[in-house]
Amino acid sequence: MKKVLIGGIGNVLLGDDGVGPYTAQLLASRYEFEDGVEVLDLGTPALDLIDQISGKDVVILIDSVAIDATPGKVLLYRKDEIMQHRPAVRMDPHSPALVDTLLSAELFGVAPASLLLVGISAECYEASCSLSGSVKAALDQAVVEILRELDRNRVAYRTREPATALGAWWATDEKMESPLLAQ
Amino acid sequence: MAKRITIDPITRIEGHLRIDVEVENNAVSNAWASCTMWRGIEKILRGRDPRDAWLFTQRFCGVCTTVHAMASVRAVEDGLKLEVPLNAQYVRNLILIAHALHDHIVHFYQLSALDWVDIMQIPKADPAATQKLAESISPWTRNSRNEFKAAQDRVNAVAASGQLGIFMNGYWGHPAMRLSPDVNLLAFTHYIQALEYQRKALQVVGILGSKTPHIQNLTVGGVANAIDLDSASALNMDRLEMIRGLLDEVVQFIHQVYFVDVCAVAAMYPEWFKIGSGVRNYLAVPDLPLDSAGTSYDLPGGYIRDGNIAGTHPFKTASDKVFRDSISEDVAHAYYQGGGTLHPWSGETEPQFTGWDGEQKYSWVKAPRFNGQPMQVGPLAQVLVGFAQGHPLTVKYATQAISNVQAVGGIRVTPDMLHSTLGRHAARAIRASMLAELAQKHLQLLTDNIAKGDYTVHNQPVFPSHEVEGVGTHEAPRGTLSHWIVIKDEKIKNYQAVVPSTWNASPRDASGAHGPYEASLLHTPLARPEEPLEVLRTVHSFDPCMACACHAFDPSGKQIAKAKVL
Repeated sequence: MKKVLIGGIGNVLLGDDGVGPYTAQLLASRYEFEDGVEVLDLGTPALDLIDQISGKDVVILIDSVAIDATPGKVLLYRKDEIMQHRPAVRMDPHSPALVDTLLSAELFGVAPASLLLVGISAECYEASCSLSGSVKAALDQAVVEILRELDRNRVAYRTREPATALGAWWATDEKMESPLLAQ
Repeated sequence: MAKRITIDPITRIEGHLRIDVEVENNAVSNAWASCTMWRGIEKILRGRDPRDAWLFTQRFCGVCTTVHAMASVRAVEDGLKLEVPLNAQYVRNLILIAHALHDHIVHFYQLSALDWVDIMQIPKADPAATQKLAESISPWTRNSRNEFKAAQDRVNAVAASGQLGIFMNGYWGHPAMRLSPDVNLLAFTHYIQALEYQRKALQVVGILGSKTPHIQNLTVGGVANAIDLDSASALNMDRLEMIRGLLDEVVQFIHQVYFVDVCAVAAMYPEWFKIGSGVRNYLAVPDLPLDSAGTSYDLPGGYIRDGNIAGTHPFKTASDKVFRDSISEDVAHAYYQGGGTLHPWSGETEPQFTGWDGEQKYSWVKAPRFNGQPMQVGPLAQVLVGFAQGHPLTVKYATQAISNVQAVGGIRVTPDMLHSTLGRHAARAIRASMLAELAQKHLQLLTDNIAKGDYTVHNQPVFPSHEVEGVGTHEAPRGTLSHWIVIKDEKIKNYQAVVPSTWNASPRDASGAHGPYEASLLHTPLARPEEPLEVLRTVHSFDPCMACACHAFDPSGKQIAKAKVL
């Protein structure tokens, strides 16, 4: 049994930064996976991310990316490419730290063999629980990229019939619903 | 002519701590602390159900999710004058302690040890000599030659590969690094082991909270953990035993490794007991309630003015009237509209960005003040406030720390030396040791209370028709956290969070008084101003946490915090 993590990263209170958790939830509502696959909303971890990725065979992370590209573009980054970045000088030791996480995991000998970051270029990071239109339009492609990566790693999944309801985090702005439903 | 140095982890999504210092004659002559991002998340809460607030607030920060959840339910309970059943208090206390132990271990080893430990000295160490040294200061059974050798091999492999990886940005070989190769190896080996023990602490949070990083078991009025000794899915004796096992291991690591290491490193850098003091006003609230109404606590609170430890003013409760009435936030140097000070219940968060200007506005952090004064919060405040009141557990570990440092370093240590960069590290180790002991106590309290047949975990909240105000506090790993709520017609009318790093990273106020980070950096000597390791040492000693809110990955590779010399 392969150990697989599909993790959405981002802050659900800061607009498009919530696209990672949203995509993870979307995926879990539409698909069922073989044993050993975890689909998680990881929030905004710093080095705690080491614990989440350590000992996994395959890791797929979904995160918004800050890049001067058209909003709503899906961009893929592999482990080797991410690890070529320099780690941050830890001025604020809790800053987001994907690069640091991977480099530390490598030092500790617990890094996953395969890691893919599915990035979605964002439009707006202002405080709200809604995704912008451009980012919403990119969700289906992000899901396709995740499924392709599962195929490449021979991890089985099937469509969930019927799809389960999506949580309410992202309906909360309009309807002021309780996010308890989304837990 | 003063030289200006800016340390700013530049990313496109700016949300970081930035420090600017002016250097004259190789010492810091002026300092500014600023945060480069506006959040304003509190606004999302207005109009919502107060019972849901904690679900939002635990998303404020990805590292400190639990503490914001807890402060939020406490704020609503304070507003409603709602008591919390004993079981719920104990479960919450255990979660808070386990989170704090995890956080303190990570802070020292993963986030600040390498300010003091020179990785590049490790190849010169002798694992057998390191073992001998380690055995002389601690009974830790994993201080074996084999573990030291394995750790050294890891460093040798990294050094041989020419790819420094996670160590790429260290100030290796800096003249301010002074540990012997063997001590460097000892600390680095524990850096690797620390990863396992912080995880065990987090597992306790996960078992009680159902899930990490976002716990699910809270509710206004108590917790949602079903207690049923006969059910496999509820909180039963098996789970309590599992928690006990995990805690025992974490407690041993704290007492035999973390506490000992901090004392040993401190003994070898005695000059850092004289550097980094700054603001000597301290603030801490009582925490770990021992009864339903919150009238007695395991950890004391109070405040200290001008370093006058003997004159400490204690707080009776976690929402003491003096505490409620004395807090204001000043925006004279922060990017918000207006220039006055407001109490958090009437606080406003209307942004007005004008660019960094050290003479005018330069930070997104408001300046919280207590009776108009800047206050330092965190483990040092917690320990000083407890020590002054003769709190037995504080006195026990503070005394032990002082004698450890004296034994290893052959230097005389007085409580007054705690007003320093090393004092903050020592205080965190003291606090962690206290919390470790209290973890076992509160697990026993919970177990005993359940054994008596009390399975109550929740009191139903009742909302009055009139407007109510509440404050929820938690003495978090980084210090005093307070959430301030105004409730009307079962809806949130206003919500403000005053977080520990806001106190410590505070900019100047209208009177020009520096915040704690800023004040602590003044007069710090710098061996090589272009490699300001000494500035990092002091800032890290506070354990800053402010950029956790936004998490976009920056593919441009600009995650480089370069010390820019301007």
